[in-house]
Amino acid sequence: MIKVTDIHKTYDDGKVQVHALRGVDVEIKEGEFTAIVGPSGSGKTTLLNVIGGLDTPTQGSVSVSGIDIAKLSENELIDFRLNHIGFVFQSYNLIPVLTAKENVEFLMLLQKRDEAERNERTTKLLKAVGLEDQINKKPNEMSGGQQQRVAVARALASKPDFVLADEPTANLDSKSTANLLDIMLKLNEEENITFVFSTHDQRVIDRAKRVITVEDGKILSDVTK
Amino acid sequence: MLLKLAWRNIFRNKRRSLITTSSIIFAVLFAVFMRSLQFGAYGNMLDNIVGSYMGYIQVHNKGFWEEKTIDNSFSVEEIEHLTSSENITYLSPRIEGFALASFKDESKPVALLGLDAATEKEHINLDEKVVEGHYFSAEHKGLLVGKGLRDIMKLKLGDTLVFLGQGYQGSMASGLYPIVGFIDLKTPELNKRTVIMNLDHAQELFALPGLVTTALVGIDGDDWQGAQQEVIAAIDTNALEVMNWQEMLPELQQLISVDKAGGTFVLMILYSIITFSLFGTVLMLTEERSFEFGVLVAIGMGKNKIIQVAILETILMAIAGVIAGLVLAFPIVLYFNINPINLSGQMQEVVEKFGFEALIPTSLDPSIALTHSGIIFLIVLVVNLYTIFKIKSLNPTTAMRK
Ligand SMILES: Nc1ncnc2c1ncn2[C@@H]1O[C@H](COP(=O)(O)OP(=O)(O)O)[C@@H](O)[C@H]1O
Ligand SMILES: [Mg+2]
Repeated sequence: MIKVTDIHKTYDDGKVQVHALRGVDVEIKEGEFTAIVGPSGSGKTTLLNVIGGLDTPTQGSVSVSGIDIAKLSENELIDFRLNHIGFVFQSYNLIPVLTAKENVEFLMLLQKRDEAERNERTTKLLKAVGLEDQINKKPNEMSGGQQQRVAVARALASKPDFVLADEPTANLDSKSTANLLDIMLKLNEEENITFVFSTHDQRVIDRAKRVITVEDGKILSDVTK
Repeated sequence: MLLKLAWRNIFRNKRRSLITTSSIIFAVLFAVFMRSLQFGAYGNMLDNIVGSYMGYIQVHNKGFWEEKTIDNSFSVEEIEHLTSSENITYLSPRIEGFALASFKDESKPVALLGLDAATEKEHINLDEKVVEGHYFSAEHKGLLVGKGLRDIMKLKLGDTLVFLGQGYQGSMASGLYPIVGFIDLKTPELNKRTVIMNLDHAQELFALPGLVTTALVGIDGDDWQGAQQEVIAAIDTNALEVMNWQEMLPELQQLISVDKAGGTFVLMILYSIITFSLFGTVLMLTEERSFEFGVLVAIGMGKNKIIQVAILETILMAIAGVIAGLVLAFPIVLYFNINPINLSGQMQEVVEKFGFEALIPTSLDPSIALTHSGIIFLIVLVVNLYTIFKIKSLNPTTAMRK
């Protein structure tokens, strides 16, 4: 479970202070398929970063799977992200010199999983995202939609508790967007994978099971369908 | 896996990797060639003058070096026990005197060197320096004349030189000797004024029975400093002086250190350029890839692992560059070792003025290659401190926010 209690995040570059989050309380349970929506600059990315341990809140506490991440050191945070969180980014961010297969395998190598398990899981995940015939392609040889599907497979490879996706469809055309959402929903329903993603695309919002709307760093509404 | 990442990253930006590697190749090639040439030149000078002419260490009667007269002589028996020391291989007794040499109506002051024909043949291969005629045997009442003097006095084999000079304690020294060979002592200065004869005959000429002015101390290996201390400890230094080549030839020693310093200066400039070029590469590498590094940190790759990859990349390029540089340098250095560079023009004049042959064979000493490969790796490591610092202070969200 993710439990966010009264978090504030203020960016201060010395000249101006930006209050990206101002008092957010939210709980997200395993198995959810939740969208965080809101206009640009409303604090979606900041909220996801704080939950994922990429950024530390200025105030408030964040507990993920029982871990109080405010208390973790930098290296512990890196390990926390490796073992508990899967990330999907807007611009895919695959490792350019590695093939699809190697990108998926990468985190499992960092986790020191044995080769048999890595191979089995990589094959299974690339199949789940429909890329079993592209495993040896490098990112620049694939379309954006394909890259983002590899990114989803990579995020799942480490067996995370939560997959956080910051605007995963923002760079995709509508066909790829629909395709990616199909895959994510299927994984959510069949494998009970938890997805928390930010978006301002109405077609994506429509398919979420829970919609948390943020504006000006606060939660405006929280609707579970 | 880290190695795989590093390797593929190198090939990702082929042009930059090529520039980096080439700059290392060039540095190694240049540094090794230049140093081989320099050290080869010193080695050549030392070989010609010190190794095969005057020795690294000499023993004289105290005061001889200041005042080179026949009267400043001693008996070799006083120091014969030195040869029992492990580091001292032989003693070669000599008489260094002066006389006026005459042939027909030509007269020249010459340096007369009396030495033991067999000893000098065995230990410093003096016989190999004979360029015309033949080396003499111990009984021979013959002369070996420097080829420079031959040309000045227009001498031929079989000609007889007449010597006139001062012998022991004011006696007259005079005698007639036939020329059996002409000799090339590898330094124009020496060739112009040296005449060599057997030690017995020199002792007879200068009326110095059983006495010598100089004893060359042959040493095992090249620790002449250690050997000098050993000799000093073993003989009566109230009566005798022990000098090393640097004390006897301060100009040579000075020439070498000035030249070495010049070379070091040039190399320092070269290495500064290399440092900046490598730093530039590392700077671009880290800046350009900070987004990528941010992603890696974000998804859970430890910073130390990322640092390892980044450093591996530069080290792999350094290894490739150093190996290629050495592979290219070796045949060049070898070529000029076999075919020494013959200095010409002004350089030749300068070098010969100092009394050295204007031929420079390159040195094949492997420590030159080792030193400069080591320096390159050191530079690579130092330059990488920047990468380490950058990655250590990297914040994934800022790095990815572009
Ligand atoms: N690293 C940062 N430094 C300064 N301001 C930031 C930083 N990250 C985000 N912000 C600001 O915080 C606010 C919220 O940003 P963000 O969470 O990215 O919004 P969203 O993802 O909803 O577009 C914005 O005004 C943004 O400019
Ligand atoms: Mg955002």
